[in-house]
Amino acid sequence: MMGAIITTFLTASVEWVEAYTIILAVALSIGWPRALGAAGAAFLCLAILTSLGSFILTLIPSLAVLQFLIGVFLTLFGVRWLGKAIARGAGLKKLHNEDAEFANLRARAEIHEASAAWWIGFNGVLLEGLEVWLIVVALGVQTHHTLAAASAALAALAVVCAMGALARRPLSKVPENTIKFTVGCGVLSFGTFWILESLGYRWPLGDATLLSLFAFYALGGLALIGLYQRKPHIPGIG
Amino acid sequence: MQGFLKTLFADKYTLRAVAFCILAALALLHTGAAPFAGLLLPAGLLITAGLLAKK
Repeated sequence: MMGAIITTFLTASVEWVEAYTIILAVALSIGWPRALGAAGAAFLCLAILTSLGSFILTLIPSLAVLQFLIGVFLTLFGVRWLGKAIARGAGLKKLHNEDAEFANLRARAEIHEASAAWWIGFNGVLLEGLEVWLIVVALGVQTHHTLAAASAALAALAVVCAMGALARRPLSKVPENTIKFTVGCGVLSFGTFWILESLGYRWPLGDATLLSLFAFYALGGLALIGLYQRKPHIPGIG
Repeated sequence: MQGFLKTLFADKYTLRAVAFCILAALALLHTGAAPFAGLLLPAGLLITAGLLAKK
């Protein structure tokens, strides 16, 4: 359960940092009350989606089917995050930069128009929050601790809000790629574990296998970063 | 809606690669080499992450 809570907290931290950048950019145009209103509306949608998603998943009568579905969703999520983190770690893609994201948002013409800015804030928080939603629902339902997972996401939100209130600028110092790499390995470990278990495979170390899977993905990911850093990358090839 | 579907199902390339890894592990589970499924799936998924990084 602890692994699920840490994974949820880290996933949510990364997403809320990105959502904070959007709300900060929007707040400069329409003021904090309306910007926070847009964020609040998005959080309400996410809360409804979380309840709905958890309810739908608990309707699945077969534990194996539920475990398989959650395993597949987590694997699809984890493999993308790990892939992105490897690419950024190896320098194949630019590191995500909150200052640049903020400048891009402020350069958009529509952000200076009240209703368009509100929608930018709402859509931005909703899209960033969807990944948090997926992790909360998947890990929460599978470990029977949806409330704990949701609390971890809310705790991450509180931390990001506090950091934002102190910094009053985009939170570009947060080591997003390191967190994404860790979360990618963690989520992929849960996904792999549950997919094979639901198909009848018995892991030799039981639940402790999760740690060895995490170590496998982390070491493998670092090895791939090292490999790609050594190879000169020619755009369009490979 | 598009963002919601993409969050759940990823892009076609990722979906196909992950499906291939799972089917390969499933096939292995029905052979005498079933214990190796626990190595094949993580290895396949790590290779997929590596390929996604280069994409």
